[in-house]
Amino acid sequence: MPELTHGFKIDRDKCDGHLACMRACPTQAVRVREGKAHVLPDLCVDCGLCLTACPSGAIRAETRSFAEFDKFKYKVAVPSPVLFGQFPMAVGPGHIVAGLLGMGFDAVWDFTVELALVNRAILDYVERWEGPFPLLSVSCPVVVRLVQVLYPSMVDQLIRVQVPRELAGLEAKQKFSEQLGIPPDDIAAIYITPCQAKSISILKPAEGAKSNLEGALGISDVYNNILALTHTLQEDQVQLASNHSICSGAMLRWTINEAQGQILQRHRYMSVTGLANVIQVFDDIEKGKLRNIEYLECDACWGGCIGGNLTVDNIYVTRSKLHRLLAEVPAAAPQVQAEVERRYPATDFSLKGRVRRRTTNDGPTDLRERVRRMKVEEAVTRALPGLDCGLCGAPSCGAFAKDVARGTGQRSDCVFLREGRLRELKTTYLSRRKKPPEIGEQFGVSPPPA
Amino acid sequence: MDEELFRQTYSIHGRDFDKAGETAAHIKQILRELGLDAGLVHRAVIIAFEAEMNVVMYADEGTVTFTLTEDALKLEIADQGPGIEDIELALTEGYSTATDQMREMGFGFGMGLPNIRKNSDDFNLVSEVGKGTTVSAMIQLNSSA
Ligand SMILES: Nc1ncnc2c1ncn2[C@@H]1O[C@H](COP(=O)(O)OP(=O)(O)O)[C@@H](O)[C@H]1O
Ligand SMILES: [Mg+2]
Repeated sequence: MPELTHGFKIDRDKCDGHLACMRACPTQAVRVREGKAHVLPDLCVDCGLCLTACPSGAIRAETRSFAEFDKFKYKVAVPSPVLFGQFPMAVGPGHIVAGLLGMGFDAVWDFTVELALVNRAILDYVERWEGPFPLLSVSCPVVVRLVQVLYPSMVDQLIRVQVPRELAGLEAKQKFSEQLGIPPDDIAAIYITPCQAKSISILKPAEGAKSNLEGALGISDVYNNILALTHTLQEDQVQLASNHSICSGAMLRWTINEAQGQILQRHRYMSVTGLANVIQVFDDIEKGKLRNIEYLECDACWGGCIGGNLTVDNIYVTRSKLHRLLAEVPAAAPQVQAEVERRYPATDFSLKGRVRRRTTNDGPTDLRERVRRMKVEEAVTRALPGLDCGLCGAPSCGAFAKDVARGTGQRSDCVFLREGRLRELKTTYLSRRKKPPEIGEQFGVSPPPA
Repeated sequence: MDEELFRQTYSIHGRDFDKAGETAAHIKQILRELGLDAGLVHRAVIIAFEAEMNVVMYADEGTVTFTLTEDALKLEIADQGPGIEDIELALTEGYSTATDQMREMGFGFGMGLPNIRKNSDDFNLVSEVGKGTTVSAMIQLNSSA
């Protein structure tokens, strides 16, 4: 099996075994053994909820530094539209573009045209698709991975239309390569991302192909740089940057949830945000419901990409700013429409590979043995209280039963099945405390001997 | 070998559109957990789902029995509903007596029974008006498609 790349790392030394990450994980990919959390890579969908949940700061997202792109002769920033809603109102799109250039980018790519192209391709695809429905959006990499891992029967419903950021990377490199007369390989297209998941999807696309982008920097990685630079910018620099490109209303609108509803007005469209909600809706689809919906736009982050884990401002503030910005910028320049008409027939929207189910090939091949395991699982489940306390180190009694049946967990890890387990946990957890629990002592409770 | 490795029976209630599809979903989960070939699972789920929906739409009470041997997966869906008068007609693609309301919910395109038959390696439909209907379907496990 090919090695899976994940963008989150747990620092064992910092991990206090709080179980928070394990409880937050939507795919039950975390286990805690001997007071330390670890991830089952086959099940991880890169959503990053563990990072947000960890109270010890032990989980971090692997990010890149700008310096890593120094080996390229020409660096193009491809900012997610979300970036433009992150700053104070006084810092307009022109400042932000100028800030990116000031940071060392050689150009900034406005992907309004790619957004419009992809919208049109999606509409075409939906109109031609014969089923099964609903088709699922692929712009959120967590959703794609979720389907691969938990809803493998739905992989063919993932729409096979390339995402705007990928088209933008390709186009930017082609254009600058021609303009500057240097090979495309000397140019880096770098996505400015609202979330870790997109940066992982650039490193390791779900369809197993190579991304058109060379990497990504988080919005939070560039935010302070840009903000600091805006104070030193001259008015003419900002003006130049504004003219230079960027920021039509069409592009900003994309970041506001349900954007695609407008394009698919005459179709049955639905939008879901928030991983828990997405899972609920996918469960319904698996049961055969929602067949009437033609296109389902799904985002793992609540409220859409403006809720990404590498954004700076909270989504309500961002949304409010985006609405004000929308009132100020032109809706869509006429040249955008002309560009779309020109490029549409020649653009290849297909994914470069096939998104496949992610198999967790840990099972025996013999059906009899597999049935036996399932029966063990059922028997263990019946012996458990169903409280999902997590003290065994698995996120639920169900997950624990599965672990036992698979041989990766032991019945004796459950405090209900073996009392000694609680004593061991006390030793593991209470001995880690730096200070003795003074209040506890007052009430006659003393810590166990280390 | 015909030895039964696994058997499970579910009861289905007519008109219960809220719970509709749960049996098929459960069977799917079991099959997937057992690591059966995705194509096979898909076929079994279509059979279970369509037959389950027919009970929900046209009959009052019924059961789905799902059994597994080393070489076959069997589904038997039996109900105590009104029965089917003309079986040949019911098996015709596009034939349906579903109400508009059912169609609005996305069911009743008359493809249920034909699809069950298409996805089975062995298919049998027995029905008696006023008594009920039994659909039996079998899928071979090692039939390399
Ligand atoms: N269990 C059943 N009991 C009574 N009638 C049934 C049953 N299953 C199917 N039928 C009849 O056969 C017709 C065709 O069924 P099917 O092929 O599943 O299409 P649909 O359910 O979309 O109508 C139904 O409209 C109904 O009249
Ligand atoms: Mg039917």
